Amino acid sequence: MTSSYLLQQVLNGLVLGSVYALAAVGFSMIYGIVRLINFAHGDVLMVGAFTAFGILLVFGFPLWAAVLAVLTIGAILAMLIDLVAFRPQRNAPQVNGFITSLGVSILMQNLGILLLSGRPRPFNLPDWLRSNLEIAGARMTVLEVVTVVITLVVLAGLTLFVRGTRLGIGMRATAENPTAARLMGIRVNRAIATAFALGGALAGLAGLLYAGRAGQIHPLMGFVPGLKAFVAAVIGGVGSLVGAVLGGYLLGFAEVLFVGLMPPAYGSYRDAFVFGLLILILLIMPNGLMGRAAEERA
Amino acid sequence: MSLQRHHLAWGLLAAAVVALVAFAEARLSGYERTVMGFAGIYAMLAISLSFSNGLTGLFSLGHPAFMMVGGYVAAILTFPANRKGFMLPALPEWMATLEWSLFPATLAGGVAAAAVAVIAGFPVLRLRGHYLAVATLGLIIILRVVINNADGVTRGALGLNGIPRHTDLWWIFGWLALCLFVCWRLKYSSVGRSLLAIRENEMAAACMGVPRARAKLAAFALGAFFAGVGGALWAHLLTNLTPGSFSITLAFMLVVMVVVGGSGSLIGAAIAAVAITFLSEALRPVEQAVGAYGLVQIVIAVLLIAMLLLRPQGLFASAEPALLRPAPFRARRPRHPSQVEKREV
Amino acid sequence: MRFSSVLMAASALALLGSVVPSQSEAQEPIRVAALSALTGGMSSLDGPSLKGAELHVDQINEEGGVLGRPLELVVFDTRTDQQVTATAAQEAVSSGVVAGFGQSDTTFVMAAAPTFQDAGIPFITSGATHPMLPTWVGDHMFMAAFGDDDQSYAIADYAYDTLGHRRVYVWTDNSMDFTRALTAFFKERFEERGGEIIDEDFFMMGDTDFSAQIARLEAVDPAPDAVFISAIPSEAGLSVRQIREAGIEMDIISGDGFDTELVASVPGPDLANDVYFSTHTYLADDRPEVQAFIDAYEAKFGHAPENSFAPLGYDAIGLIANAIEQAGSDDPAAVRDALAETRDYPAVTGTISYTRENMVPPKPVSIISVHSAEFTVEDIWRPE
Repeated sequence: MTSSYLLQQVLNGLVLGSVYALAAVGFSMIYGIVRLINFAHGDVLMVGAFTAFGILLVFGFPLWAAVLAVLTIGAILAMLIDLVAFRPQRNAPQVNGFITSLGVSILMQNLGILLLSGRPRPFNLPDWLRSNLEIAGARMTVLEVVTVVITLVVLAGLTLFVRGTRLGIGMRATAENPTAARLMGIRVNRAIATAFALGGALAGLAGLLYAGRAGQIHPLMGFVPGLKAFVAAVIGGVGSLVGAVLGGYLLGFAEVLFVGLMPPAYGSYRDAFVFGLLILILLIMPNGLMGRAAEERA
Repeated sequence: MSLQRHHLAWGLLAAAVVALVAFAEARLSGYERTVMGFAGIYAMLAISLSFSNGLTGLFSLGHPAFMMVGGYVAAILTFPANRKGFMLPALPEWMATLEWSLFPATLAGGVAAAAVAVIAGFPVLRLRGHYLAVATLGLIIILRVVINNADGVTRGALGLNGIPRHTDLWWIFGWLALCLFVCWRLKYSSVGRSLLAIRENEMAAACMGVPRARAKLAAFALGAFFAGVGGALWAHLLTNLTPGSFSITLAFMLVVMVVVGGSGSLIGAAIAAVAITFLSEALRPVEQAVGAYGLVQIVIAVLLIAMLLLRPQGLFASAEPALLRPAPFRARRPRHPSQVEKREV
Repeated sequence: MRFSSVLMAASALALLGSVVPSQSEAQEPIRVAALSALTGGMSSLDGPSLKGAELHVDQINEEGGVLGRPLELVVFDTRTDQQVTATAAQEAVSSGVVAGFGQSDTTFVMAAAPTFQDAGIPFITSGATHPMLPTWVGDHMFMAAFGDDDQSYAIADYAYDTLGHRRVYVWTDNSMDFTRALTAFFKERFEERGGEIIDEDFFMMGDTDFSAQIARLEAVDPAPDAVFISAIPSEAGLSVRQIREAGIEMDIISGDGFDTELVASVPGPDLANDVYFSTHTYLADDRPEVQAFIDAYEAKFGHAPENSFAPLGYDAIGLIANAIEQAGSDDPAAVRDALAETRDYPAVTGTISYTRENMVPPKPVSIISVHSAEFTVEDIWRPE
């Protein structure tokens, strides 16, 4: 095993982890503020991919328009889902929110099949994004470099936003205790809507990057990244932004390095390994890497 | 014990079901019996899940994993011995010559599933809420990968086919009745009260002397037992079993049935399971006529969301239809968590 | 009284069951069940197959039907789901069909076909290719396509003889019986011919990231002559694109799972190069029925057949209609016997005769190449 081979696999893990992190951060943010496992998150990602497909390949607009569109559509869609499906049942048990999100997910997937047909379509970004760069004997496409950079920039920006702006502080207060936050004059619903909008925009962007890397889109494509975002968020400790990023990278590295470093015959055990690792992490740290211990109260 | 109103109600219900099954076996077509069979199996799965999830407050998505264990164990046991030898070469010799009938095989499937649940549950049940959900989801994926790669025992991705079609409606509804009976008796016993106490407030339950770890494990294993039985019946109804037979989507659908029925309500779960099965079959001809494939799922999803918005506690909340409840339980209804101001910190 | 709802449901069911099918009249259509996954992963194969079948049914009915009666397709969407497939098969055999057809994958055939076998109704799979299918299911199971052994042998021979491959790397989708069978037969033949299988890698259906496997393929020194990718359409285009995008230029070879426009469109014209796969024969043939089929398909649907599963669906209907004519009856048992006696039926995908003991029709296999996203028929392999 040469060092450039190892570096190549590490870079592969880094890129995959970036996409997972981008999806997981939105997922975790929504969980943090409304305690909702939002399974429709993956389908927002799917809509993002189809939006980019429409803008770039059907209408032939430039890339920046597509980026703008996926951010906007993702944000609007996520807020809309919150408004229609989640807001009316804020006080219902947690499992209801989860089930509702499943319903929304099934609805979106099947609407996709009905309107767009279930057949996969090729999805190609402009050529310059697909050209290769050499890095110490390993290679990355421009898109992959862009993916990693965007992820890091977005995550830094998000952290600053949540820490430093009024709206961000309002979101954190709402996550801490919505009743108290409301009493303190924070507009709780606006804070929650912001979380959905940000999460949706990031999911849309992740959809563009995920589809651009894979090269193919279809209405059911959101399921796997949605599930991975869920897992990454849980590894990191649901509700923690930094945790979600760590979880995303850990998951990406685990998947790639397991296939890359184990003998090939074990390749098909990958998912078992990933979930085994997940369970192990949770047993050692029952609240994920960065999650706060759930305090038991009588 | 004197005859009470709920005894009469149960008697009538049992008689109606027996009559329905007898009628179905005599008069209905194979297709209609198959749909009824799936409805019965799903009702059993939903009841057992409502018991372990709804009543105890565990958030497990692991039912398909236990169905896989039960289905494969039972199918390997009933498989015709003359074909077992070359189809499953890695089976130990004593197993290769076995050819059990349905009942012991189903029982063995259930027991195997419960055993897996105890082994897995011992560490995993320490997790709570969504962490448990992810861990049990992982259980489905791990088991699927293992079955997929254990070619000599399970035929891997090819799956077991030509499983004898032993399951009929009598077996399904017999097991369904047993499942309902066991879960019902437990729900209205001190065990059931302890489990409800764990759901409502685990710390308080522990303070009152409820052995919470053991109680949760027992509820989890009981749910898994009936899931294993369900998987076994499923395999002998469909005659075909592959690692993909029991998917994550199925786990979601079962949770949906429990929530629609009302978390912890056994009859509610059964009604939801039957309604969803029949609804998706009934809508299929419409879908075919319109040519809009995907319509069935859309209708079910919309109904589900509407249901959660308009009646978040489900059909029956945690309770059962008043008519069927023993008198002391008729007046009081257990409070649903939605009515309790409570938030995890 | 709360029982009323239960009783109502019971009586509704009773009513449902008491509807006795009316006696067949002279002009009543002969019904054939189509079990096709119109949604889900298999829809890109089953969809065209059903369209081919619909086309043939239309043609037959325009010419007066079979035995003077119109042919009618009863379509069931099996949603790429085993349970739905099995239930649909039950419904189909309960609805008075003379035969059933459909499905492009062994797993789903095995969910449906045994029900037909038990009911004594013949079932033809349009696209599934596992050579053991008729042995597993029984004497009511028929295949319109060739077996996986034939298509694997065809591409192995072509790779060894024509492309000059000696060292091949193998990728297999480990989650499907079809892909695993294809790999097993390919390895058997290629090694028998004297070639070397360097190593193997595995993935699972639904994977979208092949970067780890690609890095390993890249690291093989000296580079293999080709990589054999045993995959179904959903991964076919993805794997080709990602391999080419990584700058790996070795030949890519496969079987009929690659017979999808995705192999060309997902990588795009710049990257869809040097791909060779074996598949059902129709494009290169100059037999008149082939061109007639393509023209009729274009006239009905406004575009060329998507892939060779369209002519396979067309052929499955042809086989059934032919058997009904030969039997002179719409009795499923008679139709089964006539099907089993099929000899030299001029199908679009090659002449079909059930002469082998395992009932897999010996059919010619096409080798198709993809260069600059263009499909070209290179060769036709014939079983000995």
